[in-house]
Amino acid sequence: MIAATDLVTDAGARVPRLSVRICAGTGCVAMGSLRLADRFREEIRQRAAAATVETTPCQGDGRVSITGCHGFCAAGPLVKIPELGLMYCRVQERDVPEILTAGFDARPVDRLLFHDPADQSPCKGESDIPFFRKQLRRTLALCGEVDPESIDDYIAHGGYEALRKALREMTPAGVIHEVKRSGLQGRGGGGFPSGLKWQFVAEAEPGERFVICNGDEGDPGAFMDRSVMEGDPHAVLEGMAIGAYAVGASRGFLYVRAEYPLAVERLRLALRQARERGFLGDAILETPFNFDISIVEGAGAFVCGEETALIQSVEGKRGMPRPRPPYPAVHGLWSKPTLINNVETFASVSGIIAHGAEQFASVGTRLSKGTKTFALTGKVNNIGLVEVPMGITLREIVFDIGGGIPDGREFKAAQIGGPSGGCIPAAFIDAPIDYTSLQSLGAMMGSGGLVVMDDSTCMVKVARFFMEFCAEESCGKCPPCRIGTQVMLNILKRICEGKGEPDDIEHLESLGEHIRSSSLCGLGQTAPNPTLSTIRHFRSEFEAHIGGRHCPAHECNALLTFSIDEERCSGCTLCAKACPSNAISGELKHVHHVNQDLCIHCGACLTACNQGAVVAL
Amino acid sequence: MKASVTKPETGTAGDIPGYFGSASIYSRDEIPAEAFSAVDEYVAAHPGGHERLIPVLHCAQSVAGYLPFELQDHIADLIGLSPVQVYEVVSFYHFFSTTPKGQYQLKVCMGTACFVRHAEHLIDAIQTETGLVPGQLSEDRVFGLELVRCIGACGLAPAIMVNNEVHGNLDRNMLRRLIKRLRNKARAKAAADPGDRAAGKETVA
Repeated sequence: MIAATDLVTDAGARVPRLSVRICAGTGCVAMGSLRLADRFREEIRQRAAAATVETTPCQGDGRVSITGCHGFCAAGPLVKIPELGLMYCRVQERDVPEILTAGFDARPVDRLLFHDPADQSPCKGESDIPFFRKQLRRTLALCGEVDPESIDDYIAHGGYEALRKALREMTPAGVIHEVKRSGLQGRGGGGFPSGLKWQFVAEAEPGERFVICNGDEGDPGAFMDRSVMEGDPHAVLEGMAIGAYAVGASRGFLYVRAEYPLAVERLRLALRQARERGFLGDAILETPFNFDISIVEGAGAFVCGEETALIQSVEGKRGMPRPRPPYPAVHGLWSKPTLINNVETFASVSGIIAHGAEQFASVGTRLSKGTKTFALTGKVNNIGLVEVPMGITLREIVFDIGGGIPDGREFKAAQIGGPSGGCIPAAFIDAPIDYTSLQSLGAMMGSGGLVVMDDSTCMVKVARFFMEFCAEESCGKCPPCRIGTQVMLNILKRICEGKGEPDDIEHLESLGEHIRSSSLCGLGQTAPNPTLSTIRHFRSEFEAHIGGRHCPAHECNALLTFSIDEERCSGCTLCAKACPSNAISGELKHVHHVNQDLCIHCGACLTACNQGAVVAL
Repeated sequence: MKASVTKPETGTAGDIPGYFGSASIYSRDEIPAEAFSAVDEYVAAHPGGHERLIPVLHCAQSVAGYLPFELQDHIADLIGLSPVQVYEVVSFYHFFSTTPKGQYQLKVCMGTACFVRHAEHLIDAIQTETGLVPGQLSEDRVFGLELVRCIGACGLAPAIMVNNEVHGNLDRNMLRRLIKRLRNKARAKAAADPGDRAAGKETVA
């Protein structure tokens, strides 16, 4: 294999060419991947300096580059050696010399490869790792392949060909027709057919119009858009330019969360590069089409993911939604027709134009075409970013790709769609995932957060978590959302504290219905979903909290009995010192005891103990 | 006065000491002068209208660390808004803060993945170690605690950010050790540069 990529030095010796690609997504960066990249560069430099033609073949090209997120965040930092088809997991700085030495001998370092949990066999590259095997990476195809900071790398992988094709060979109407034929639906959550949206903007009153890319990924537990913007920023810009050409806009805005500094930095760089190469600016690709993009940083407000709120925010105001219609397609930014799509939607467009609508629509279900990215997190072994064809089952995602639940626990539910979505219980694990089937289960696609829960997760607490989120993020404009979410939250808090009342469940249900039907925007209309869907699928758990004063998952402090495991207690007195009600007694170096009559269930002892001796059941 | 420094960052404008009164709780010399000049430069370099407000606030906060009311007033003058039009935007967005941050700002991620993996234990541990409740700043200004929505590091849940650095896969004991480490680092720094911090503390009152 090495022979094919050999370099021949001036002295005539053959030295292998290797390149090293290091994942620089957020997960891997936090695990030290940038320091790792420096270590690789340093090691290669040192070896090259020390090398003589006869002694070592380390003068090879040795290109060390960073890439976007590979998605396999659980195994980071990830290092790829593409010439050898290798992917290394959890690489430490001290592994660098060994990787290079082995690399130049064209052999893998076995201990750093991913080992299939099923039979402990080492997996060489991505195609062998179960996490990647069932995925179909299209939107993410270049994420983890290209250097996000190099436009040349993007172009070398076919980048900006779709824009060239659209501008030179297609009419705006032809582009819209192609997007319509592909069946692409808005990937931000609602699932509105994108082609139709484009058509509405194109057919709106003549005059100035705008394109906005919604990168305000506020859903907690979701990081798909972040990975695309960080890993393949040019794909987003290209998609926006194609959209602008189709609807006749000359100015675009890319709205990014301020919490994503790396994405902002890479997009800024990509913008500069695209302008220099003439993919943005005036007379793009020698056609009369002019288009330029500004980056707008958000400032931390979940409601700004709602399109009318986002428009307010771009205008520099409080991000408060307004009633629709009129839709932004007719009356948007500065009252002009505006095309708003999500990051993933725009990133899908170049593939549709370059490879045709048929290829895009060749996977998926009858009603939902293409692929969808999910941020797979929570109680699952392989946490990461996955892209799968529509119609795949939850079981395939959680067990085949996700590698199942840690510690041999049982799958209980998956929460899809974040604060707007709902829970899918184990009973429906074989239901296909697409826009319509999720809706029928009381969940929704949302932006693609998929949080797995095991039997130690309390569903009432999950409902409370999302309600807390919505109550806090409600912009306060309309009372059903502002007050209603607060009232629902109070009831849920009460239930978790063991003070639930018999008709609480009915109250939650009727409040939820009212908030859903009377709120102004999507935030309020979907805020009750997590609660309603947990009641629908886990009613007995609510009843256990209320009637039985018992938390089946042993998570709600107020409903637990705290005791001390005599075997583990070292008599350190930490728990007794932490206890605010003096319920714990015991002498130094003797086993301690909890007086249940005095215990106020605050959980302070559980936090204080560093022996794991406090048991809460 | 010092007590109000540790006031949680919630409530309405009416609760904020100094805003409707004459004096701010922070003396003017605490706001770095560069913040004012940075804002001036930004506005001069970016002609436009009111849509510049959020970028200008970002710029101001990145230099000053927070958005004191004097700075907000200054921004209002520069781009032709009334102070309350600036304040309504500042108070709407979580990213903007009207109180100073700690030397080590502990941001506990409250995203779903971290929630499922017991982020609340991390908050408990921070409270036990530092006595802070969310939104507070310790009296010596070494630690500030805030709860943030998803930092996108779900693969490392539960995770916290200390200033801009992500620490993941934490449990109570690891967090305890982290805080001790940071506290020692702050002490060492203060010992090496005694005038600065001690004096800074006194001028607050």
